[in-house]
Amino acid sequence: MKNALALAVFSAALIAGGASQVFAAETGRTRAVEAYVPVAMPPGFQVIVTDLDGPVFADAKGKTLYSWPVRAMRNGYAGDPKGKSVCGDEVLQKSAGLMSPYPPGLDLPEPGTRRSCVATWPPVYAADDAKPVDKWTIIKRADGKRQWAYDDFPLYTSIVDRVPGDVLGGSTMGGRGDSPAARDPVGPPSAVPPGFRVDTTVQGRKLSTDGRYAIYVSDADGANKSNCNDACARTWVPIRAPASAQPQGEWSIVDRAPGVRQWAFRKKPLYTYSGDPSPGKTEGEDVPGWHLVYTQMVPPVPKDFMVQVTMNGDVLANAKGKTVYYYSCGEDTDDMMPCDTMESPQAYRFAVCGNADVEKCLKTWPYVTVSPGVKSESHLWTAVWVDPKTGHRAEANQAGALNVWAYRGKPVYTYAGDKEPGDFLGHNTGEWHGRWNGYQAFWIHDLGGRN
Amino acid sequence: MHMFSKTTFAATLGVALAATGFAKAETPTTLRDGRIGYAVADAHFSVYQTADGKAECPQGLNPMGPREIFKQLWPNGGKMEDTILVREGLNAFPADHPPLFPYLETQGKISYGLNLDGKVGPKDFTSPEGEKGIDNAFYRVTGCATGFRGPDGQVQLFASKFLRGFVYNRMMIEISGADNLVNDPSVDVTIMRGRDPLLLDSTGEKVAPGGSQRVDERYGKMLIQRLHGKIENGVLITEPVKDATWAWQIESNHPRSLHIRDMRLQLKLTGAGADGLMAGYFDVNTLLDWTMGYATHHLAYDRLDAPEFYWALRKNADAYPDPKTGEMTALSSAITLNMAQVFIQHPDKAVAEQVTPEAGRVTKTER
Repeated sequence: MKNALALAVFSAALIAGGASQVFAAETGRTRAVEAYVPVAMPPGFQVIVTDLDGPVFADAKGKTLYSWPVRAMRNGYAGDPKGKSVCGDEVLQKSAGLMSPYPPGLDLPEPGTRRSCVATWPPVYAADDAKPVDKWTIIKRADGKRQWAYDDFPLYTSIVDRVPGDVLGGSTMGGRGDSPAARDPVGPPSAVPPGFRVDTTVQGRKLSTDGRYAIYVSDADGANKSNCNDACARTWVPIRAPASAQPQGEWSIVDRAPGVRQWAFRKKPLYTYSGDPSPGKTEGEDVPGWHLVYTQMVPPVPKDFMVQVTMNGDVLANAKGKTVYYYSCGEDTDDMMPCDTMESPQAYRFAVCGNADVEKCLKTWPYVTVSPGVKSESHLWTAVWVDPKTGHRAEANQAGALNVWAYRGKPVYTYAGDKEPGDFLGHNTGEWHGRWNGYQAFWIHDLGGRN
Repeated sequence: MHMFSKTTFAATLGVALAATGFAKAETPTTLRDGRIGYAVADAHFSVYQTADGKAECPQGLNPMGPREIFKQLWPNGGKMEDTILVREGLNAFPADHPPLFPYLETQGKISYGLNLDGKVGPKDFTSPEGEKGIDNAFYRVTGCATGFRGPDGQVQLFASKFLRGFVYNRMMIEISGADNLVNDPSVDVTIMRGRDPLLLDSTGEKVAPGGSQRVDERYGKMLIQRLHGKIENGVLITEPVKDATWAWQIESNHPRSLHIRDMRLQLKLTGAGADGLMAGYFDVNTLLDWTMGYATHHLAYDRLDAPEFYWALRKNADAYPDPKTGEMTALSSAITLNMAQVFIQHPDKAVAEQVTPEAGRVTKTER
């Protein structure tokens, strides 16, 4: 087990907390990061523990590596099958109709400035003398070049990642059903014992059972000591460690009684909550003194934001409590090009935000501007300059440009249709509930999951 | 207008009962301290339909969905900005362009629903059992729209499916102060949201009575609303509440709320369930909002085009005129509810006591 190169000074303290703690508290620059299982890597690659996705592979320059596993669309498939790259150098000019009831073959926007797949997702080429190492293999591309693959899926970098630690090209958090076939960052396994898993959430890397039940720790417990017994232990069920389990890294074992062993993480005994009705639910976090467990939490959001309670859960809001939204867009093409970056064609967004009327767009979906003196402490939130007339990146202090907040490189917005804090009427505006060309509310904790 | 209907709650419930989606076996459940709870097991907009549809839709079902409209407008394709994005823009801003195609409305005279205004008007329907004065303007919009017709229209199908799959829409009622479930001149009804999965029977397909539900006091606080009513011949009849909010999610990750004015319930009660109607005036924007969140993919299945639907809503709106323009902003409508008896686990303080009585609902508060 190994602690990765951290992007911030960190301690080994347990990370636990709820939404309000995460987003309201300034945690300073001390931050625990997730441990991972070291894997054999070819020369020239490294692991970087990133703010949102935890440990990911990167090339020698620190650029995050992505794969593009094939996914079923409504009318076909998109992505790489194992052992083959379908990301080519052709600049596609026609729609594919993979997710639309409309016919394919429509002319795509901005034909003169479009990029090919490889120009957007540069393949990670292997040197002529490179040799496979464990799960790292080499495939031969259609043009004869050699490309690294991990777990048989070809690897790429992203042109939108600028500095080491950026994971702007995709996230393990995204990609729910009927979303564009996104690129996923690739990394080593989390250092957790069998029976546990770690998932990327907007709050951090959340620890769960392998059955996706939430895991909790108690303020009442001591270091490697459980004070939860009898009735408490019926409500908060200790997570048993098998007889053969051994302490490892940040994981220890608490002897509750002879032969009754309980897992502990960072010295805190672990429990599930009997009141969680189904996998993915986190109702135990409402109980005072009990907390969800994260291997690492995201850095705090800038002070221009707050958490607002709604009928559907906690949502990120601006300083006035208005729900914050992000825009998502994937082109319905064989290469699934992103159309939600500041460099993408803006025709898609202008259609849904203002019916192609820029002024209406700005009025309906205003940017969240940066207040004087407010700064971000992470790679996730950046202050960017945007030309509101074009939607593209602008020079700092350029005439007419706005200084706005961007999450993972993409500006965020509020919605004019929301009249009071807690409203989220803009959620799912646009195609496929806003996933393909539209807006979604920035949920921190939502009830949208299944029972 | 909008007075509490004195008309008899006719056998409008009959079909609703027949469509009940949960196990109907009677259980020995009785009132406990004058209380009984029910959770929604199935809910869909009430659409009266004959076997061949000819009585209500003599011209057939609405033929113009997104796919058909696209084909008519752009048979040779074109640029993305001039075709698909034009329609996606109108989906978000349907008022920007007048309707392009005829929208087939219901022509029938029979409809489910309630007499919301206590009058019998020229546009009113007659219930299947012969009660006149039924207000259901939304049925004119939905009756010949495939998606709203059962059993396999997407809206109908998804309403049932996602009610059981999610908790956002785990709406419940609790009757309190009741002497029995047959006749009581004065009972209180509290609307609230549960937090737990529904109890299913051994088939896994039907909701069974007898499950337990905790009350969602955290995110569901703004859904807690109180009504007053009576029980006559086993039917709960509530007085209308001026502004009601109802959590509505009939597609994955598409949570919405319905704003219903003059909302009232009429439900046939048993120890195992409550079946009947929730009726009132539904905001045009509310109805548009949740429908438009559907993917064009699904709307195409139903041949339901968002902008055209919007204009049909506006044309048929029959209540609450805009104070500036005079245009009606809401449609009379009804939702068929099938509810299963549940044991509501109360927190320390009874939920009903937390409601501000003057508004009939609580105000939004932060944690």
